[in-house]
Amino acid sequence: MSTIRINHLKKTYGPFVAVDDLSIDVPEGSVFGLLGPNGAGKTTTFKCMLGLAFPQEGSIEYGGRPLSTEVLARIAYVPEKTVLYEWMTVAEHVEMQRRAYKDFNTARARELLAQFSIDPRKKARNLSKGMKTATMVALAIARTADVLILDEPTSGLDPINQRHVLNLIINESARGATVIFSSHQVGQVERAAEHIAVVDHGRIVLQGAVDDLKADRKIVEGIFPSESYSLDGIASDGRIARVDATGRIVRLLATDGAGEFVNRLEALGASGVRVVDLNLEDIFLYAVSPKEATADVVAEGSK
Amino acid sequence: MPVVLTVDPRSGVPIYLQVIEQVKRSVALGVLAAGEQLPTVKQLALDLTINPNTVAKAYRELERDGVIETAPGRGSFVKSNGVAETSRAAAADVARAAIESAVREAKSIGLSADDIRKIAATAVDRWFVEEA
Repeated sequence: MSTIRINHLKKTYGPFVAVDDLSIDVPEGSVFGLLGPNGAGKTTTFKCMLGLAFPQEGSIEYGGRPLSTEVLARIAYVPEKTVLYEWMTVAEHVEMQRRAYKDFNTARARELLAQFSIDPRKKARNLSKGMKTATMVALAIARTADVLILDEPTSGLDPINQRHVLNLIINESARGATVIFSSHQVGQVERAAEHIAVVDHGRIVLQGAVDDLKADRKIVEGIFPSESYSLDGIASDGRIARVDATGRIVRLLATDGAGEFVNRLEALGASGVRVVDLNLEDIFLYAVSPKEATADVVAEGSK
Repeated sequence: MPVVLTVDPRSGVPIYLQVIEQVKRSVALGVLAAGEQLPTVKQLALDLTINPNTVAKAYRELERDGVIETAPGRGSFVKSNGVAETSRAAAADVARAAIESAVREAKSIGLSADDIRKIAATAVDRWFVEEA
């Protein structure tokens, strides 16, 4: 019912390509994390998902259906830039939501605001950036929506409230809601998300289940007896995403089959061969860092 | 639930494997007794701030490994029949992982299989001195 499917999305602003051939599937009840540098296209993707921006190509489906008023009524959204009315109190925002959405849970909203220590009598203009974010999150969660789209839902929050937001996301997922969120903090995505996609320059450069990415992607490191050695085709193996060579040391980023590359490096005369686990931050940084520089080093190292 | 599990999401080890390893260790050490109830998937997910499906995956594998059993509607429990085997198997799993990693390390710094066997034999002799 609330499975999200984005097919080959493309959005341009004049000559600028904000999102290019972006496809993701978010299974119902799961948490999906969107990672990427600033300006990568995350917010544009969210806007297309909500009908706030119109893509030139591609489609977005919720449970097999295109966006409609009915579908939109089941989606709660926390935008990157909060959209509270500065002159209104928090309580007035709650009242406005109650009137706008028939499933809005006012008691839950009050409870969440209290958990974030937000005084509902305060005017929005008197809230800090973090408290504004927390207010938006509380209003979104109280919607009891089927789909939550959260753009940087922890920005400006202190570590305690960041953790609280993550737990709210987990709780929503356990309730059956489908959640897609973005964050600059890879560690948060690593905790809460089951699947992730890394977006860079509008394109997906890496996608998968967090556990699978960690289980499969490893650094295999070895030390050769001298600086002149051959990698015997390892560098061009499809499972090697990257090769870093420094002097006698070679580091392979294997996307699969690390054990096999350990054996192959040893067979080529490398010693001290070891496998290094990668956390999501490492995986993310490798995915978005330029590879051109590396290719030169490889050519040199493998002569 | 007296067992306090901790996970390190920033480690390169998948979180579900960390949960499996810690539950097995707790069973092996007797911290989790036969028949004892594990937290619900949702509760453990919230306690550890990790994805509920990750916890569910760990529980499914623990069930397949015969460490826990799940009664529909009642929750997950440490398997009560054959606790001895379960806990011995769990202990063996924990020990195997530790020894595997030590051997891999020894091999990577250039020791031969014979060198490593000698070191292992010496270590066993040292720790089981009373039985020798």
